[in-house]
Amino acid sequence: MRPGLTVKLSVLLACIGILASGVTGYYAYSTNQSLLVNEAERNLLTSTELLSQRLSTVLNDIAADALTLADMPSSAKVAGLDDLPGDDAAKERLAQVFGTVMRLHPQYAQVRLISRQQFGLEQIRFDRDGDRLVRVTGSQLQEKGHFPYVFETLALAPGRVYVSPITVNHEQGAHSAEGAPTLRLATPVVTPAGSVVGVVVINVRLKSLLDAVQSDLPAGHQLYLTNEWGDFLAHPNPAMTFGFDKGRRLLVQDSYEQTRPLFDKTRTSVLVNGLDDPQRAKGQILAFVRTPFGLPENHQFVVLGLARPLEDVLRGGKSLGESTIQMVLAFSLLSIVLAVVFSRALTRPLQMLTHAATSFQTRHALEALPVTRTDEIGVLARCFDQMRKELKSHMEKMSQNQQELRHLAHHDSLTGLPNRMQFFHQIERAIEAVAESGLQLAVLFIDLDHFKQINDQMGHAVGDQVLIVVAQRLRSALRGEDVVARLGGDEFIVLIKGPGIVTEVPVIAAKILSALNEDIMTHGRRLQVCASIGISLFPDDGVTAEELVLRADSAMYKAKVNGRYTFARYQAAE
Amino acid sequence: MAADQNKMTNKCINIFKIAILTILLALVLPVFAAEKTLRVLAWPGYADPDVVKVFEARFHSKVEVTFVDSDESLWDKMHAGHDNTFDVVAANTVEIRRYTREGLLQPLDLARLPNTRFQLPRFRALSSIGGLTRGGKVYAIPFTYSAMGLIYDRKQVSVPPRSMSELWNPRYRGKVLAFNSAQHNFSFTALALGVDNPFQLDANQMRRVARQLIALRRNLLSYYSLPEEATRLFIKHKSALLFANYGTQQLTQLHKAGADVGYVIPEEGAIAWLDCWAMTKAARDPSLALAWIDYMLEPAVSRLLPERQGLANTLTSPPELSDKSRIIWLQPVEDVGQREALWGKIVSGNLPERF
Repeated sequence: MRPGLTVKLSVLLACIGILASGVTGYYAYSTNQSLLVNEAERNLLTSTELLSQRLSTVLNDIAADALTLADMPSSAKVAGLDDLPGDDAAKERLAQVFGTVMRLHPQYAQVRLISRQQFGLEQIRFDRDGDRLVRVTGSQLQEKGHFPYVFETLALAPGRVYVSPITVNHEQGAHSAEGAPTLRLATPVVTPAGSVVGVVVINVRLKSLLDAVQSDLPAGHQLYLTNEWGDFLAHPNPAMTFGFDKGRRLLVQDSYEQTRPLFDKTRTSVLVNGLDDPQRAKGQILAFVRTPFGLPENHQFVVLGLARPLEDVLRGGKSLGESTIQMVLAFSLLSIVLAVVFSRALTRPLQMLTHAATSFQTRHALEALPVTRTDEIGVLARCFDQMRKELKSHMEKMSQNQQELRHLAHHDSLTGLPNRMQFFHQIERAIEAVAESGLQLAVLFIDLDHFKQINDQMGHAVGDQVLIVVAQRLRSALRGEDVVARLGGDEFIVLIKGPGIVTEVPVIAAKILSALNEDIMTHGRRLQVCASIGISLFPDDGVTAEELVLRADSAMYKAKVNGRYTFARYQAAE
Repeated sequence: MAADQNKMTNKCINIFKIAILTILLALVLPVFAAEKTLRVLAWPGYADPDVVKVFEARFHSKVEVTFVDSDESLWDKMHAGHDNTFDVVAANTVEIRRYTREGLLQPLDLARLPNTRFQLPRFRALSSIGGLTRGGKVYAIPFTYSAMGLIYDRKQVSVPPRSMSELWNPRYRGKVLAFNSAQHNFSFTALALGVDNPFQLDANQMRRVARQLIALRRNLLSYYSLPEEATRLFIKHKSALLFANYGTQQLTQLHKAGADVGYVIPEEGAIAWLDCWAMTKAARDPSLALAWIDYMLEPAVSRLLPERQGLANTLTSPPELSDKSRIIWLQPVEDVGQREALWGKIVSGNLPERF
């Protein structure tokens, strides 16, 4: 079965309702998510900027230590290899100061005094070996003149600090620092005369540096660090760091495309979130900040990044999400109910109209219509009602006309008696009915005597009046089941049915004759009419209507011959 | 009349046969074309997309190129197993020697490589290049190379240096740049010291070379790893001499950076790597593999090496090199581990008495 209008309308309205509430809910939820993520991004950016400031502070602190060591008068003497009395004692005192600095700063991996002469030979060197402090002396000291942190620093003005790129320390014999990602800060050692005779170098392991920088970072934050080309130096996955040291570049620009502007120096910070870019930053929000690093004239920088799981950020919006879903479900349910109610209300008058139309069609019944409504349906109902009424009155009139026509076809218009056709119809039916039972029928052919004279002498109006009276008298002289008909002119015919009519027929004929013979008062005149009657019997005188009528007619002529005002039975032998 | 009819019938049959054959060919050819795939294992710059496209069109085949960035990854890919096999491979002479010994390569039929006739005599004398032949059969064809010569600043060094020994000249102290790697430094230093076979040093020679390398260290500004780094240091610190580990590529880069520099192959000879094309034993379609190797030697293709990569090809001599220049192709060294251990100590700045 095809769904009706109510179902279709219900479904349509319900769908619109569900869609509207769903879309509204979704937008509310996603807007809230974006707001949360934007807020978190701002916070994360602030955290990263703070981290960047902290890195600068930490580097400044280390630089201050290096400058302090370089400024000590004995540093210049030791580095300059001045041949002075008590030189060894002065060197030992200086070494103690270097040792103290190492002890006070567990994050330092190496503190060294390196001279310009002797190919950059180390003069004082403290290494950290696990928790142990190691002073390296004698032939274990190494020549470092070919390292950038030496030759670049030697070219600097007093008081300035060289900050090396962060690389893996491949210098052998560096104890804990060997093979570890390391940052070197170095500053020139200058004699009172102003010549640069050596450098003080402080090595810091990247790990210690980052630990110091991110000590107060909330849990769940992950740190990224890259050099100025984008090579990862710190990454939640250690395998992603220092790729260049293994002959393979692993760049932040490849992991997070959005960071490119940091490296072409068009932007100083970049935000990435997994909500807008789920392919690149799956389930994370990240902030990257370009941080100046080292000497300003070298335009060096590093990029610091912080990441937070997106889930942490969105957790706050989770309850809103759940209530949004509930709200959407409730509104969807409500819209289904409303859709059903509304569509039923809309289709009920239509159903009434349909019902009314159907019952009018089948039963011509006038069912109730919503004619009192003021809307289009009301107009339709009123039009339909009007149409229905008109149709009904037309139909009634037509059926009346039909009845009249039918009566006219079967009756004589003057006397109201059945006409010849109706009589033959009845007699045939009667013959059929009695043919098997063996009963008899009688046909009486009645012709008024001298009627022509009445017509001629007194006019047709009188003649007609006479015929009407004759018809009334014939009718009342006979039983209800007998048939009286006017054949035309002054000829009437009667069919008598019932048992034992052979004996009754003469009685009935006599009764008719006497009834007709009474005076008729018409137009103020007294008239006397008499008639002749011919009788034929079924089945004795004929078995068809025509035969019976013909024979009764000829019997009537015999009666006329016999002297009018009498009746005669058909006699076959004559 | 009957003969004529016969003729007609025969003709009809012939046309029918041709039609059937054409249809069969049309059905079968695309299948063959789709199966003709050449898998190439090469270094970046050896099989650029436009070069590959021309080959594919000419030989109605498909070429799958896999690039490697180190000898180690090349080795790994060559040993990846049955799922990941290659038809042709580009590798240097040392690696080719290893692969030939392992039986990973198959001999090449020079008659089917007509473009070898365009190659310089130096590269046609295949038996003179260690690692390319074995048991009288040729296993690889030279393709591109780079000689590790000496770059000098024309302003500071008025007479072009004739030997690597200039790197030790105290006149240039603090103005020399060397490459940070064990193997080549030992080899070229041994050459400069007059050692016959710089790739096979005995203990004595090793000690001498190590001390010589310390002396070199003391004459250096610094070591470099990447050509860009070398260029930056050379310009910034006004260096005079540079050991060009990356060959003429570095010359081009320095010229671009505005340096007035020259390039020489020392008289004792320059060590050089030489990359060759070889066909693997797993090659499914040897004639297509040979076609590829031959195609690589076409002047139009080989010309792209100097144009795009700054590398030398085997067809024409670069201006920096003459026929007489002594080039010593890389060979396996006696003990990589020992060289690297020594190098680690040298580069860390250990004093000579610790060797």
